[in-house]
Amino acid sequence: MHRRSRCTRGGRQVGDVVNLKAFFVTTLSSALDLGIAVPDDVLRHVTPDVLSVSLPRPLWARLLTACVGAARVDAQLVVETIGVANLCEHVPAPIIWACIEELAMRALGGVVIATPAVSSRPNASSPTAPTSRPIPIPIPLATPPPPAELRTTPSAPIAVGPSIPAPAEADDGRGRLPPSQRFRQSNTGIGRLAATGARRPQAHAAPAPAPIEPHVEAPRTAPLPRVKRGETQSDDNDSETFIGGKDEWKNVDDEQLVDWSAADETVTNGSDFGRKR
Amino acid sequence: MSNDQRQAWFARVMESGLENDIFAPSDVLAHATPDVLASHLPAELLSRVLASSLAAGSMTPERVLETVTPELMAKHLPHEVLWQCIAAAAARAGVDKSVTS
Repeated sequence: MHRRSRCTRGGRQVGDVVNLKAFFVTTLSSALDLGIAVPDDVLRHVTPDVLSVSLPRPLWARLLTACVGAARVDAQLVVETIGVANLCEHVPAPIIWACIEELAMRALGGVVIATPAVSSRPNASSPTAPTSRPIPIPIPLATPPPPAELRTTPSAPIAVGPSIPAPAEADDGRGRLPPSQRFRQSNTGIGRLAATGARRPQAHAAPAPAPIEPHVEAPRTAPLPRVKRGETQSDDNDSETFIGGKDEWKNVDDEQLVDWSAADETVTNGSDFGRKR
Repeated sequence: MSNDQRQAWFARVMESGLENDIFAPSDVLAHATPDVLASHLPAELLSRVLASSLAAGSMTPERVLETVTPELMAKHLPHEVLWQCIAAAAARAGVDKSVTS
């Protein structure tokens, strides 16, 4: 059993009993059971030298007996003979912890995370503590932004007049949060999350509906001219602009026609360009 | 090692740490902050956390961890966050001295 060190932490008083050994036993046993660790990983830290000074003589006797009678002496035999509970009981805690830490680093893919200082308890005021400040208003990623943001979002510049507010004004009135706070913090490891393969459940995509045959559509009020291949089909589908017969556009007086070559407004080049505006 | 094995191990370590008072629920939530929880827990689980707190009238770390069990933490939260919690507890207990810098 280990007693917490002197200062008060997290509302617990000095000397609270911490069952560190049991924690080590569970952690190391489950790592071996789950294949996170192999006995060689343990013996890389709990070396024979360590065992020689920390293991009681009766346990040494048991180990020697097992080794003498075994066909092959390896790390598995040593760990199984001594037992994880005895290892955690007698081997110094920093050594067991070093073993666990190595397993964790391997499980995390070799990512080394800065361990906070011994005297610093993680809290909101500590500079090493993870960000625990409240989020003013959580903005779900899957929902559209609030309408106020949509209204103030600067669009593409259009030359309509000087009364359009400047982009700086739009930015001042829009944001409750800087953009960086609306996205995931970098220490949350979202990049590595994707590597783990953990995915949120997704709904099955519904099969695409069968294409609707043109002849199934409801008949229109006026029959439309059939369009041959190569003609513009948008005219065929646009029932709003369809007015009359096929040749009605030809019934135009000559006065209504514009002589494009003589129109002043359309001159864009030549010697007259720029003289008349 | 598969992700399932790693997940099961972290769940077991977190469970053992809580059982053996290596760290408290408040320690867990100091690392698994509301920001982290909101970013990674599924909507159904967030709903259960809120519902249980509403039913009890308060949201305490203990109550959050009654819903977000070690298994669910290991399933949904980044393992780096869980390890930070474990490593911080080890640092407080002094077991990492002369081992980690």
